Amino acid sequence: VTTALTRRQLLTGAAALGLSTAMAGLLSGCSSGSSISTDPDQLVLWYWSRGVNTKLLQRASRSIPGSPHMSIRGDNVGATNYDTKFRTSLAGHAYIPDIASVNSNCSLYFPDEQLFVDLNDHGASKVKSRYYDWKWTLGTSPTGRQVFWPMDTGPTGFFYRNDVFGKAGLPTDPTELTAGIRTWDDWIRAGQQLKKRTNAAMIMNAPTVFTQYIGASKVRYFDKDDQPLFEHDDGTVKQAWDTAVRAAKAGVTGNLQTTTDQNAGWVSGKVAGHIEGAWWTQVLHDTAPATKGKWRIARQPERPGSSGGSFLCVPSTCKDPDAAVDFISWLTDPTNQAASYNDIQLFPSTPASFTDGTMTYGQRFFGDQDPLDFFGKVAPDVPVSYVSTYESHVTAFTTEMTNVEAGGKDPDRAWRDAVDETNRELEKQGVAA
Amino acid sequence: MTVAAARKPATASRPASRTASRTGGRPPGWRRFLPQYLAIAPFYVLFLVFGLFPIVFSIVLSFMKWDGVGPATWVGLAQYQYLVTDPRFWNAVANTFIIWIMSTVPMLFLALVVAFLLHSNIAAKGFYRLAFFVPNITSMVAMAIVFGSVFSDSFGLVNSALTALGAHTFGWLSSYWGIKITISVMVIWRWTGYNAIIYLAGLQAVPTELYDAAKTDGANGWQIFSRITIPMLRPVILFTVITSTIGGLGLFTEPEVLFNGATGGPDEAGMTIVLYQFNQAFTNFDFGYGSAIAWFLFLFSVIFAIINWRLLSERDGLKTPRKLRKAVRA
Repeated sequence: VTTALTRRQLLTGAAALGLSTAMAGLLSGCSSGSSISTDPDQLVLWYWSRGVNTKLLQRASRSIPGSPHMSIRGDNVGATNYDTKFRTSLAGHAYIPDIASVNSNCSLYFPDEQLFVDLNDHGASKVKSRYYDWKWTLGTSPTGRQVFWPMDTGPTGFFYRNDVFGKAGLPTDPTELTAGIRTWDDWIRAGQQLKKRTNAAMIMNAPTVFTQYIGASKVRYFDKDDQPLFEHDDGTVKQAWDTAVRAAKAGVTGNLQTTTDQNAGWVSGKVAGHIEGAWWTQVLHDTAPATKGKWRIARQPERPGSSGGSFLCVPSTCKDPDAAVDFISWLTDPTNQAASYNDIQLFPSTPASFTDGTMTYGQRFFGDQDPLDFFGKVAPDVPVSYVSTYESHVTAFTTEMTNVEAGGKDPDRAWRDAVDETNRELEKQGVAA
Repeated sequence: MTVAAARKPATASRPASRTASRTGGRPPGWRRFLPQYLAIAPFYVLFLVFGLFPIVFSIVLSFMKWDGVGPATWVGLAQYQYLVTDPRFWNAVANTFIIWIMSTVPMLFLALVVAFLLHSNIAAKGFYRLAFFVPNITSMVAMAIVFGSVFSDSFGLVNSALTALGAHTFGWLSSYWGIKITISVMVIWRWTGYNAIIYLAGLQAVPTELYDAAKTDGANGWQIFSRITIPMLRPVILFTVITSTIGGLGLFTEPEVLFNGATGGPDEAGMTIVLYQFNQAFTNFDFGYGSAIAWFLFLFSVIFAIINWRLLSERDGLKTPRKLRKAVRA
């Protein structure tokens, strides 16, 4: 009887412990409200590695310039599934950061823009002129609220292998090459010469041509009322499609569809060019260090585009939106953006950072050419455009472009399939095609 | 329901009388077992929160349109209506079953051969057992990098070997069948050792007298394998078939890491049901549709569970409902 009793006591004890632990976990989730930090004077910022300059974060962790009574705590939550993490906190009304980084897919949040403060209500409009107009506009919601604040940018250029272009008898000087590839047809013709003489591809694949063409266009998939434009025969999307198909048919795209192949392409020189944002400089350093000194950057045909580049936003649950905007404004002022470039190569969204004089590239990956100087001149020419929230449903176009290039699918059929598939998905989302 | 109702009075009355006669002052009914209930409560509390609630909630969600953040709207059966006519979904279903067959059949056969060899008298048995199990515990991300390099179209080892042999290269990561073969090879590589260990356990339970008798009668290796080993292993094989079916229907990690996200590769040739569900829920943030896909997957799983159960019950001579009915009529 004694042993039975002790066992029962043990079981009860274990159960009580287990239950109280579970309840404590649940209750602590409820009691802390929607904020992460219980300290009323501390704002929590969510970011990912190399997304925000940690040196500046450290300075603001003591006190926010402009709002000295408040401080910042930076939580690096990792880039993997960042949107899922952020959206989960928003959906749960709990553990929401007071300030959050958001990537170039910020339009994803436009339907739920009421969950964020209008930064204009807290003094954003006063410093608007500091930033590139096109970058600022990308953070403006369709209703005109300023939901996202420019962080870094990705003005695009045509990266190319100087040595390989020389062997093909093409201009090696960036200015000369820029003059030689003013239109996409010029660019394709140069690619054909490159292919014929060196067997190298101009770019890794056709979907990249398609995507970067659209990235450099004033009009994209939807108009400002989110009405679809992609079906129009003379629209941007069709032009981008036809250009990419022409490039693929001319044999100037590399048909490299996986990261492994693409990296090998640049390292081996089988792919002698790429169109990508300024931040790709750093990627190239890491991917193909042995090709140092052999790369140059020219302007891409027609005009530069925008690819990547992040934003900062303030959820409406923020403890002190004024202090949050003070912090963001300080973090992204021209001087600090120049510092962020020097520390972690975030390409500035403020033109004044380039005239500041403190920003240096300090490497010779592009020979005598300074990519800072290049992209600083290119960035003002990026067109103002509107990225609709429904652009998350247009992936069928790049999928079908891959089918054309890798699978030899008839381009006209692929185009029709892409349009049909997109319309089907949009209809599901309640957008009339 | 009727069975349960009929039984209830009997079971309810028995403990009551027992309590009265044998244990005197103890509290009656469920409170007597309160400590036991409390002891198992932590599991059930966690299961309610992280298991049952999401399951029930996903049923509700599948009738709604919800982006995961804003307000959810009731759409009735619209998600299911879209699903039955969604070519991307049916492509994912076809892919899942093709990859499942392409991976499971060779995998189980290889596992059986490996187990048979490991069971025989060879040197360094422990080393081989460990070596065959290592793929199962290898990081999937590391594995994806290796497979990506081996099968990559333009710079991969396999295509380089093919070129060296004078053969044509093949789009292992870009063509419809190439992608399926690559994913199947990944599955086979990862799970053969695991199944071999299970078979090995089954082999060790086979009485050695049977082998000795067969050898005495002059049976060769193949005859022993096909006439003794396989029949004796039947329940174990059935078990591995069932677990492989579960794994095959839920195939997700391999295509996800191979194509670095829920894209399924060119022409979505590597898009599986679970990957498509993930794509819709966590890339498109269409949680209603993701839930509808999950419930269709549940339906497929039920169908396969029934098939497996029937196979199992007939093998063991158990009565299926039809046989039962026949017996009653007789």
